[in-house]
Amino acid sequence: MKNIIEVKNLTKEYKNLKAIDDLSFEVHEGEILGLLGPNGSGKSTTINCILSLLKFEKGTIQIFGRPMAPNAYDTKREIGVVFQDVAVFEELTVEENIDYFCGLYVNDKSLRKQYVTDAIELVGLNEFKKFYPKQLSGGLLRRLNIACGIAHKPKLIFLDEPTVAVDPQSRNNILDGIEQLREKGATIIYTTHYMEEVEILCDRVIILDKGKVIASGSPEELKELANMEEKVSVEIETITEKQLEEIKKLKNVDEVHYHNQNLIVIYKKGKNNLITLIDYLGKERVLYDKIYSERPTLNDVFLELTGKELRD
Amino acid sequence: MLFHNYKYALKILFKNKMLIFWTFAFPLILGTLFQMAFSDIEKEEKLQTIPIAIVKLSSDQNSMVPEIFEHLKNGEESMFDISYQDEKGAKELLEDKKIDGYLILSEPLKLVVKENGINQTVLKFVTEEILETEEIMKNVVMLEMNKADTLDEQFYQSIYMKIEKWKQENQIELNNISNQNLSYTMIEFYTLIAMTCLYGGILGLYLVNQNLANQSANGKRISVSPTQKGKVIITSALAGYTAQLIGIALLFFYTICFLKIDYGENILFIILLTLVGCFAGLSLGIMIASVFKTNENTKTGIVIAFTMLCCFLSGMMGITMKYIVDKNIPILNRINPASMITDGFYSLYYYDTFGRYFFNVISLLIFSIFMLALSIKSLRRQTYDSI
Repeated sequence: MKNIIEVKNLTKEYKNLKAIDDLSFEVHEGEILGLLGPNGSGKSTTINCILSLLKFEKGTIQIFGRPMAPNAYDTKREIGVVFQDVAVFEELTVEENIDYFCGLYVNDKSLRKQYVTDAIELVGLNEFKKFYPKQLSGGLLRRLNIACGIAHKPKLIFLDEPTVAVDPQSRNNILDGIEQLREKGATIIYTTHYMEEVEILCDRVIILDKGKVIASGSPEELKELANMEEKVSVEIETITEKQLEEIKKLKNVDEVHYHNQNLIVIYKKGKNNLITLIDYLGKERVLYDKIYSERPTLNDVFLELTGKELRD
Repeated sequence: MLFHNYKYALKILFKNKMLIFWTFAFPLILGTLFQMAFSDIEKEEKLQTIPIAIVKLSSDQNSMVPEIFEHLKNGEESMFDISYQDEKGAKELLEDKKIDGYLILSEPLKLVVKENGINQTVLKFVTEEILETEEIMKNVVMLEMNKADTLDEQFYQSIYMKIEKWKQENQIELNNISNQNLSYTMIEFYTLIAMTCLYGGILGLYLVNQNLANQSANGKRISVSPTQKGKVIITSALAGYTAQLIGIALLFFYTICFLKIDYGENILFIILLTLVGCFAGLSLGIMIASVFKTNENTKTGIVIAFTMLCCFLSGMMGITMKYIVDKNIPILNRINPASMITDGFYSLYYYDTFGRYFFNVISLLIFSIFMLALSIKSLRRQTYDSI
């Protein structure tokens, strides 16, 4: 598979702090690569280094097989960036903003007009194209931010936490839009600390912590790193110590906790563990209200690897 | 691409209400207030001759002071209406408000006034000038005496020549504060133009700030585009300059057509000074945008505060300040862009020669180049240690 980005031994320091520590990875053509990590893990710094916005102490970066540099204008022409901070002009309408930023890449006026229309369509801002940014809600503003970054139809797109603080409707719209971009052949680097988005969107994930890669692979491969297979939560009003002990002895059970009328049973492996538990509770005539079964998430993987939550 | 950026930069400026207020509306409002506040004072000032008395301590007392006061003109009229009195008579005249003050030709010269007002201020200013220059002259004489081997005819001739020279210089100096030059309204309007030129820096500041990756989110987005940073900054600065010129043209139009301000006849020189003044304002804005690492509102505040300070020192809030600075810290007015602009207009209006005018134009250009030189390192930078 063709590599679109190759980062080798990237190191970036801020005085005594290593923001990125000997980082190496590749991004393959047509994939969505998720950069996952808590705040301050080095995701945005990595992107800024790749884009030649930040100086770095060590390492090499190649995009489309060419070294990346501030004056690599041909390379930049094929890149679209959506930064974490909304970057639009308050004085321009939705349509004008997209046209302005698209104009930095595309000179042909009629082609640009078409691109602007496509971008507005993609992010679902048709009704709002004459609106000014301050008239838009947070979610719509994020959509505009995305449209400004991708209107010129780039081959490589960086999306740096594009769904921070947006409403569910806008989030779904944004995620749908990203899927569409992938279908049209774009390669996407997606940074977030929302593991659910990574699981939905990404073909491959790199988990960063303190500027280092602590795990990488597909979401499914990563989940296998978690030291559990299934977690069952049951709302129970009362349960005896003896019953808890007996649950612990059920097949595949690793841990049992009862706290605030909530029973949590963690299974090391196996499927259909829920049925065994329900059978036991029925036989013992233990009254329960709600019952949930969860598979391990990337947060569990992160917890397993670092001992802390992704959103810490 | 260049026109694309220029067009949008202009659009951004003209849709920004805060920028429009400071650079377009505020000078018009201030101009109207100046006209309302100073036009009456100006009328009174032009008509008035200041009545004073001079008290000679002896009839044969020889002093150049009365001669100097008699020489000072208010247009065709004498600036002072002088009567010679004994001290008692002068005191009575002052009590009866028939004179604004009297001078006693004692050693040193003594001025007596009873009230505060424009006439008293002028009288005090002239007296202080005389005392100061007299002191200088005494020092010259003492120096010459110490140098001379003998007090012969040549020595006296030399002293006489120096005194004559002093008298001539003194005359020029005092003429500079004659009534024609105390035109409050004109000085206020010159400082108003200077203020508008420098406020224009806010426009350049805003646009350049939007182009720098380490200063704004838009700057990051522009920096990762394939458009050369230099081109974006130059077209943005050009748009800022265009908006500045439109603003200043509007101010001239308003003050000439509605407030009936007469800026003189040297229209080409006025245009040149305005162009250079606006360029100085633009350079100031670019420097503050690129060198200061703080948020945009703070930077705008810096431009406004700096401009107001410069205008204050060049006489916007009172003409006396300009003279105080000229007299005590002249270097301050040499490096103050508002003073350069004000003084450029002043010299066009009051002098027939252009030496002082061009000195100010060149000083403004040097100021602008210095500002741009300070900015160049930040403007050229393409990658940053942190953003």
